[in-house]
Amino acid sequence: MTIDIWWRIGMAGDPVSLRTAHRQSRGDWAPPGPDSITPGIRDGEPDGYGLLDYLVQTARAAEGLGFHGGLLPSFPGTDDPWAVASALARETKTYKFMVAFQPGFLNPVQAARMTAGLHRASAGRVTYNIITGGGGAPQLWWGDKVAHDDRYARTSEFLDVLRGVWDGGPFDFDGRFYRVEGGGLPGPLAGLPFPEVYFSGSSPAAIEAAGRHADYYLSWLEPFEALRAKFDAVRARSAAPKFAVRVDVLARETEREAWADIERGWQHVRPEAVRAQLSRDGGDSFGVRRAVGFQPGSFTGFRDFEVQPNVFAGLALMRPGPAFGLVGSYEQVAQRLDELIDLGVDSFILAGGPHLEEAYRVAEGVLPLLRGRLGERGQAGPVTLSA
Amino acid sequence: MSAPRRAPRQVPRREPRIIWTIPTRGDGRGNRSRGWDPAPSLPASVRDGRAGGPAFTPFDYLHQISRAAELGGLAGVYVPYDPHGEESLVVSGSLGRDSRFLEVVAGFPAGIATPVYAAKLSATLQRAFGGRLGWRLEVDLDERVQRTQGDFVTGADRYARAAEFLTVAKAVWHGQDVDFTGRFYEVVKGGFTGPLAGLPFPTVYLSGTSDEALALSAEHADVHVFDLAPDDELDRHVARLGERVRPALQATVHTREDEAELTGTSGLRGTYAQVADQILAYRERGFDTFFLAAEPRLEEALRIAQHVRPLLAGRA
Repeated sequence: MTIDIWWRIGMAGDPVSLRTAHRQSRGDWAPPGPDSITPGIRDGEPDGYGLLDYLVQTARAAEGLGFHGGLLPSFPGTDDPWAVASALARETKTYKFMVAFQPGFLNPVQAARMTAGLHRASAGRVTYNIITGGGGAPQLWWGDKVAHDDRYARTSEFLDVLRGVWDGGPFDFDGRFYRVEGGGLPGPLAGLPFPEVYFSGSSPAAIEAAGRHADYYLSWLEPFEALRAKFDAVRARSAAPKFAVRVDVLARETEREAWADIERGWQHVRPEAVRAQLSRDGGDSFGVRRAVGFQPGSFTGFRDFEVQPNVFAGLALMRPGPAFGLVGSYEQVAQRLDELIDLGVDSFILAGGPHLEEAYRVAEGVLPLLRGRLGERGQAGPVTLSA
Repeated sequence: MSAPRRAPRQVPRREPRIIWTIPTRGDGRGNRSRGWDPAPSLPASVRDGRAGGPAFTPFDYLHQISRAAELGGLAGVYVPYDPHGEESLVVSGSLGRDSRFLEVVAGFPAGIATPVYAAKLSATLQRAFGGRLGWRLEVDLDERVQRTQGDFVTGADRYARAAEFLTVAKAVWHGQDVDFTGRFYEVVKGGFTGPLAGLPFPTVYLSGTSDEALALSAEHADVHVFDLAPDDELDRHVARLGERVRPALQATVHTREDEAELTGTSGLRGTYAQVADQILAYRERGFDTFFLAAEPRLEEALRIAQHVRPLLAGRA
């Protein structure tokens, strides 16, 4: 049994830290200022570098440190992960690309062709993060009106078609959403190793579809007992998939330093924003509704969002992204990751801003303290859950 | 800044140039040196993402630092000479090729090669990265260490040799049919031709505060690099360089958002605003180039780029 550890990439740039009011000062998603990099300002003018140059540096940091690869997220406000992966493939050595995409937006035959091409460019370094969509306004922004449970049916069909053409065909399919006659990838594109599938979704329909298609069932970080129950629900519906968790990490040498960074960043959080978050309606996303339910009922300060030791639910107020993350000393964060491994986690997608510097911090500070499984566990003594 | 002001030099109003020091013998926190030792190993149960791929080398990390300097808009990188570290000209060639804007200043002493060979190698580097090479000729090195490197020229002779070295290197760089006979070097009908001719000669950086060092610079340096010293002492040395030679300052830098976060005491030290003020005060005294270093070099280069540099650029 082995653990895979991925390091996310900031597909819309990175802030300089969590301490400052949120502003993406890396990459060209925000207007350039004197503190920008990619583009940097030389003699008063942007220097011609762009976000991709920063992403190359982040990916090289992650791969050089031994991370398995990285998640390339996809949202209305990010660059596109297929395009970025094709550029990064030529600039990296072993970095594996976990490409996030929503099946509804791409023809499955085209997705198969793109995957095979990217596999060939990168010597087989493509992994899928299949997202079926959080609904609401972003879903309509993409032009997708398909209802929640139907989206999972579409995802299932999409993956059936993709697998059908993958080895060369001829493949025929006539479904609710897709139709193919005599399809199949041509020549050397056919028959490559099929990418591992990380599958997200918290609803019953999602867990049902995950049972058919997922190599890894991927969840955001939640309070550990809630994760345990979620994993049990997945196990009940499928033949023992593996589990992955997407975890934001703010680790420092001491716990005090870690919370001091949160305290700084919290100064820029408006109380109205906190109230709005506490009463947020998650659209038709089960994951967001679950996250809302795990938040404190009332709050007096940022520590109220520490819903169990080192598990902080306030990150979404400080930067775009999931609410939950681990905050603490290197030792504490390593211990929480060990506990997640005990819950059955086989793979982590870790993240922290800025992703370049934090990759070094996590690899040098936290990972050496991770005991992981097997022999190391025996030496370190039993790990007790503090949840 | 209490020393009596001299007749003002021509004060440059452009943004102070920061040249970031590359660690040629390791860097970083903890007991392992990034860019020198192998990266820390992962726990046994974690699958190593590097397995089965092309080799990672210590240069990968050196490039991360120079890329950070490049993307952060710093002016250059300095690759110091260290007989016990990576070879500086090889590192410089690699980093220069991987950037568009950085000046790449290679540190080395005259003893490593004949001036013709050093110039020849440098002409190729200038071609490889479009004329962004600098030479930082190290003269006043530890003589025991020099002997381990096969160099037995000692004392003031080292300055005489450095002068000859630069004279010959510039002569063959710019000239044809160069004949030279000196105490240390001899050349007959030397000089570069073809694409090796006509390139810009590397910017020459020298340092030291002895009479010999300042005299050498007055004749041969483009820039003279001083360590931090009391202002009146610096002013006195700068005055001996003559108007042609630009003074630069070399220092470690320790800067944080708040005073409460500061540790260490030497070098340029203070909050972002305080360090920016110190740099601008030196610029008023005529220093336009700053050789800076802080560990870890990657993170601190980005810190300077994103927190200190905007305060310099805004007031240039």
